[in-house]
Amino acid sequence: MLKNYFKIAIAVLKRRKFFTFISLFGISFTLAIIILVATFLDYVLSAGYPDTNRNRELYVSHMQLNSSKNHSQYNGGPSFYFINRYVTTLKTPEKIAIFSNSSATNSYTNNKKKVNNLRYTNDKFWDVLQFSFTAGKPYGKQQLDNAEKVAVISEETSEAYFTDDAAAVGKYIETDNVQYRIIGVVKSLPFSSNVYADMWVPYTLTKEDLKNTGLMGGYSAILLMSSKDDLDKTREEYDQMVSKVPMQDKQFDQMFTFADSYFQSFIRSMHLAEGTNSGMGIFLSFAGIIVLLFLLLPTLNLVNLNISRIIDRSSEIGVRKAFGASSKTLVYQFVIENLILTFLGGILGVVLSFVIIQVANSSNIMPNMVLSINFNVLFVTLLACVVFGLLSGVYPAWRMSRMHVVTALKAQ
Amino acid sequence: MIKHLFKLIWNKKKQNFLLMTEMLVSFIVMFAIFTLLVYYYQNYNRPIGLDYDNVWNLGYGSPQGMSDADSIANFRESIKQTIISMPQVEGVSFSDANIPYGDANIGTMIAYNKVNWPSEMYTADDNYQKVLNITLNEGRWFSKIDDASREKPIVINETFKERVFGRESAVGKIMSDAAFGKGTMKVIGVMNDMKDKGDYAGPQNGYFRRMDTSNTGGGGIILIKVKPTADAAFESRLYKTLSNLMRNTSIDIKHMDKERTKRNTQLLGPIIVLLIIAGFLIINVALGLFGVLWYNINKRKNEIGLRRAVGASGAGISKQLMGEALVLSTISLLVGAFFAVQFPLLNVFNIASGTYIIAIILDILFIYFLVLVCSLYPGRQAAAIYPAEALHED
Amino acid sequence: MIRLQNIEKVYRTNTVETMALNSISLNVAKGEFLSIMGPSGCGKSTLLNIIGLLDAPSKGEIKIDDQKTDHMSDKQLANFRNKKLGFIFQSYHLINDLKVLDNVELPLLYRTSSGSERKKLASAALEKVGLSNRVKHFPTQLSGGQKQRVAIARAIVGNPEIILADEPTGNLDSAMGNEIMDILQYLNTTEGATIIMVTHDENMAKRTHRLVRLFDGSQVQ
Repeated sequence: MLKNYFKIAIAVLKRRKFFTFISLFGISFTLAIIILVATFLDYVLSAGYPDTNRNRELYVSHMQLNSSKNHSQYNGGPSFYFINRYVTTLKTPEKIAIFSNSSATNSYTNNKKKVNNLRYTNDKFWDVLQFSFTAGKPYGKQQLDNAEKVAVISEETSEAYFTDDAAAVGKYIETDNVQYRIIGVVKSLPFSSNVYADMWVPYTLTKEDLKNTGLMGGYSAILLMSSKDDLDKTREEYDQMVSKVPMQDKQFDQMFTFADSYFQSFIRSMHLAEGTNSGMGIFLSFAGIIVLLFLLLPTLNLVNLNISRIIDRSSEIGVRKAFGASSKTLVYQFVIENLILTFLGGILGVVLSFVIIQVANSSNIMPNMVLSINFNVLFVTLLACVVFGLLSGVYPAWRMSRMHVVTALKAQ
Repeated sequence: MIKHLFKLIWNKKKQNFLLMTEMLVSFIVMFAIFTLLVYYYQNYNRPIGLDYDNVWNLGYGSPQGMSDADSIANFRESIKQTIISMPQVEGVSFSDANIPYGDANIGTMIAYNKVNWPSEMYTADDNYQKVLNITLNEGRWFSKIDDASREKPIVINETFKERVFGRESAVGKIMSDAAFGKGTMKVIGVMNDMKDKGDYAGPQNGYFRRMDTSNTGGGGIILIKVKPTADAAFESRLYKTLSNLMRNTSIDIKHMDKERTKRNTQLLGPIIVLLIIAGFLIINVALGLFGVLWYNINKRKNEIGLRRAVGASGAGISKQLMGEALVLSTISLLVGAFFAVQFPLLNVFNIASGTYIIAIILDILFIYFLVLVCSLYPGRQAAAIYPAEALHED
Repeated sequence: MIRLQNIEKVYRTNTVETMALNSISLNVAKGEFLSIMGPSGCGKSTLLNIIGLLDAPSKGEIKIDDQKTDHMSDKQLANFRNKKLGFIFQSYHLINDLKVLDNVELPLLYRTSSGSERKKLASAALEKVGLSNRVKHFPTQLSGGQKQRVAIARAIVGNPEIILADEPTGNLDSAMGNEIMDILQYLNTTEGATIIMVTHDENMAKRTHRLVRLFDGSQVQ
């Protein structure tokens, strides 16, 4: 039966070339956009260089302080003090990386200005994140404790100052009026990375006062567990730890901070969050509405085209009914035909988006970002194909099956 | 004739329903796009209201180890003197982080006659106006006179003034800080709006308060107006000098013109992506509309043949089919316009009614244009049908 | 075989009621070749549609093979048509997107049968109508008479007991029409099919066992 559906679907598509073109254009373009968005989100959200252990990591990057008296609310990152004094006491995580928000610093060599984004990190940062070093090595605990003026730089930074990476190691870069000795060069990161910077230096070198006991500041932590199974345990331990933290500032009486998965912390950074509500629901419903709205127009378009095609095929419907096809069978037939069309469009969409991604990658629109279509994305595409095919096929199929045999046979 | 077309459409309302829905959704999508475009275009045409050329922003962290107000005020004064004494410098002004094209927004509520107004809050010193070349409509900018005043002096922008005071003069009016319910502020001047959030940003309430240089909290930004001849060598020297002066904090220098470009691209990027997507959606809809109309003609060969037989000319048939498509779109547009008109009526998103109305008009013209173009060819085709051939088909 | 009792068919629009069939009672025996005649609009096609279970009567009862057909669900009706009935139409109603063989296979698709068996049965049916050499053609490549022969092959491929033909020769010239009648007669005499045919043509009607005349929805002969 399926083979027969396939045969007739292909025959219909071949005979009505113009319609096939219009339908395929709409479907493939719609799906290509879905693929591109999915690829981009997948790239940003899933584990990738250098943060390859995302499935067994939790992120501490948000701190909310509330004052119920003033009805005011402050959002920001946790302070170094909070992470160092409390978060590092957690037992479950294997390693904890600490790093500051990136701060722009200026460097002037030979009267040429360069802006270097700096992050202050601890030594574990280099264990938790899997940087690949093209030259040299990271700084260790001793260098951190001694506040040695050393730095790891990105390849891009290296290229801006030196002839090659190997030559960079041991040389000095002066930025923010400080001379840093370069001890390592790493492959550059895409700007979307959560630890993106041009230079990474020991946190002991910061000009900020690390003894400041405020809870809010510009730091983040990544908790790396030895296995995925420890994630929930760590979350529990984190929440317990938080409940015991005293509020230093009398102005505030509530504190919200969480050990989030990467996706959760990403959502939380959109400021949809409110207290214990992570904002996930709002985000997902917003995203859902946007996707639906975006799908609405191509769907309506395809529905209209399909209905026109049905009217054109009323004789076929009549004959099939006369020879024993039930309405249900006809619905199946048409829905499957439409799914076949959608999947053809899906294949074209994949090809189209592949081309676009190749062009985007090679033109380097987004620096250091190499997008690729992977299985997750293909799965989303498949799902989108099915949803799209059903959405645009079911109503016309239903209309078709309800067509009265006698009228269907008359209308030719 | 129109009545006849309505009859035809009414009798086929079921078939036409989905087609009209598609037109309606297209109208709504394009309404959003046009509103955005008109809004940005109108904003782009507003005067910038500030002179960003040759202005450098020097950001610094909170000065450490100084707790009493006097020493901080002295510290700031010495920084200012150092900068102003440099030959390439024309002017210096202290501000908080909320500077034009900067990363920070500071929103607050401010009250007049017990009515709360949301407003952007800026903090600036006496030299700010000169450094950014801001023009005043009324009153004056901050000056030494304000040292002695009982109420805190504020300067509000033209948009805010119009919303709160209408045509009345604002100077001398007393406003208060809504969040804390205390502190009285006296309007001393009304400035022209400045598009400090980028060239495409809309008008926004805003007010300036006078910088208290002895304030201990946080760092801030120093705006430096330099001569056009100031180059990287000078910037490097400036940076060195200030780094040595502010040993305990990082500083960085940005150029306001570059920050402005960055802001504008940040906004234009998504808009361009949006326009590309909308463009494809419209091509999609146009092809679909074209296809459906074309099909309908093939289906109605009989009727067309008959019409030709009873005396309709080819041009008449073509006009009739285009007329039908236009009547269909008119119905969709009426429904769509009904929804769209709610936006200016309910004042959604704080966008001026004029913007919405222009968008609606453009949208209507656009959809008519689209439908007309899509029905042109099918209509021509129908005109070419020979009565004999068409009637023979049955 | 087929028993119609007091069949009435009324078409209603908002304002007008049209009586298409008025109290028709008819018995068709197994193996009978019956023709229905009458002027345009007399209700003969409606009657055939009702016998073919394509349309339901407003009143009255149809029994086919002693089975009552009212209260049958859409699925049961479909199944019944598939097994018991074969249709031939004036305008052939072949599916232009399918080749001749696939067109003939169509009724078998709605049964459980393997692809090879379908092919075998369809080829056999095409052989009976003398079109074995046109299997791979598309309907648009055939003449009217050939198209109608394909339609007959399609009607008999499922081996139904009853064949319903709605003006099978109406679109054909008399030579071709006679060819089609030869095939129908052969099916009736040799294969024992019960055939009900609507026709305009007295000559065709004369070649059947019995003639029923309708006028304005009523049986006059």
